[in-house]
Amino acid sequence: MGLLSIIRKIKKKEKEMRILMVGLDNSGKTTIVLRINGEDTSVISPTLGFNIKTISYQKYTLNIWDVGGQRTIRSYWRNYFEQTDGLIWVVDSSDVRRLDDCKMELDNLLKEERLSGASLLILANKQDIQGALTPKEIAEVLNLDSMDRTRHWKIVGCSAYTGDGLLDGFDWLVQDIASRIYVLD
Amino acid sequence: MEEEQYQTKQTPITNETLDSITQSKHEAMLSRLSNLHQSRLLQQSLTRNSSDSNSSFESTKSFLTNFSESKTSIESQLHLCRNPDSSKPTLKSDLNNISTSITDLERFVAENSYFLPSYEVRASLKTISDLKETLEIANSELLPKKKFSFKNKSVVKKEMSNAEPVVRVCDSVVAEKHSVQVRDSLGFRNEEGVVLVKHFGGAKEGDFTLSDLNGCEVRITGCFRALYIHRLKDCRVFVGPVLGSILIEEVEGCLFVLASHQIRIHHAKGTDFYLRVRSRPIVEDCNGVRFAPYVLDYEGIERDLKESSLDEETGNWENVDDFKWLRAVQSPNWSILPEEERVSGVNISSSEALSIDC
Ligand SMILES: Nc1nc2c(ncn2[C@@H]2O[C@H](COP(=O)(O)OP(=O)(O)OP(=O)(O)O)[C@@H](O)[C@H]2O)c(=O)[nH]1
Ligand SMILES: [Mg+2]
Repeated sequence: MGLLSIIRKIKKKEKEMRILMVGLDNSGKTTIVLRINGEDTSVISPTLGFNIKTISYQKYTLNIWDVGGQRTIRSYWRNYFEQTDGLIWVVDSSDVRRLDDCKMELDNLLKEERLSGASLLILANKQDIQGALTPKEIAEVLNLDSMDRTRHWKIVGCSAYTGDGLLDGFDWLVQDIASRIYVLD
Repeated sequence: MEEEQYQTKQTPITNETLDSITQSKHEAMLSRLSNLHQSRLLQQSLTRNSSDSNSSFESTKSFLTNFSESKTSIESQLHLCRNPDSSKPTLKSDLNNISTSITDLERFVAENSYFLPSYEVRASLKTISDLKETLEIANSELLPKKKFSFKNKSVVKKEMSNAEPVVRVCDSVVAEKHSVQVRDSLGFRNEEGVVLVKHFGGAKEGDFTLSDLNGCEVRITGCFRALYIHRLKDCRVFVGPVLGSILIEEVEGCLFVLASHQIRIHHAKGTDFYLRVRSRPIVEDCNGVRFAPYVLDYEGIERDLKESSLDEETGNWENVDDFKWLRAVQSPNWSILPEEERVSGVNISSSEALSIDC
């Protein structure tokens, strides 16, 4: 039995998924995690290190790693790449000026060997803000269509503020991971 | 919180088990509470002068004790594994155990990071990062290469062998300007030496941008959702409550009076900030920035502040975290604005100004 199938076995038993959530600072990562977990979002400080949330989602247990996006701590992101089943890239859809930055950081991330098997969900957050770019516009700027053919990905518009779109996004991600990991054996 | 996580981990929760889980959770909680109470009592009797038994200080101390104990134990395990005499058959599982211990330690930091001083969080992250690196090295040196041949197989078009993770220090720094033309959001841009006025009419909608302003005065009243500020020089900026966050980059010689739920300041020089903020303001790559409490006034500001839940002074204006400062002592990059140098109050309700409609 190969190691991969052992890992699958273990994961299957626990039905656990490891999800890494990154993106520029201020994009709304922490707010999204708290919102999806039904927690209070009224006071959130910029994340200095990282947060781990274990939540039940459908029949799975999601281990969500929310890592701070300030420039100084982006170099720590790579500490969390190992064994990532799903990658969530969060974009502040109203921060037009930093979309270049956002594209560059995402491109670098996707070159990462250790993340090459992970399903990618892009959340175009803050859709409640008037003047926010649509998911379609964001997809164009980030040039998502040119991504590696083997990558499973999807972009979803959402608002951590109203909650809209979050479940659509998570549903897709969890289904996609499940179909890769649990159905194979 | 721990409790919750245990519960969510129980895979199938039936109605019958739920009761017993609740029961045992409840009992566990009670016994922990009573332990806590006991130790508090003990503590109190130890420190008669309760003035210095600051609880967050105490928990930081116990965090550090626990953290350094785990760290030492992981280090010594690593050391044992690397000892050349020990070609033990258990090597692989030992290394696995170490990996698990590091993950546990990481979780421990995460769970405590909400009350830890920023320095401790950064330092702990660094420690964990170092431990992982040592473990990685130990893994690649001590374990037979077989493991990696598997890895090669599972990953398509992999060329590097088990090489260490490549740190890409922005190798594509010459980021292509995005080819797609995107519309700009509302804002004041490219102005010099003028007064700029904007009023938001209560709808709490939209974001606003201030960019490339030189020697301007900006007055924004009413509530809105997000504010982006970029490249301002010698400006005075007065802003009503912002429901979401404010992001400030590359400002110099300015004065800001701002209220918001979150404030991030990057690359600011010689600038004063009068803030009301619900969370901790953060600075990164700044120097000579000073902080004071919010002083803005205009007709109806009380209502606006209340509507945005910013009517209470949280005192956070002085709880600044410097992401670029690793040490426990005060960062040299920012300071508290001495009271005698502060402006006493700014009223922007009835002043005459060039009003730019946008
Ligand atoms: N209007 C609006 N504001 C949002 C939304 N999501 C997050 N925000 C606000 O955006 C700001 C940043 O949110 P955070 O969750 O702290 O962002 P983050 O990505 O965790 O930031 P770092 O921890 O610094 O990496 C906060 O002030 C949130 O209230 C949204 O959907 N709509
Ligand atoms: Mg965060």
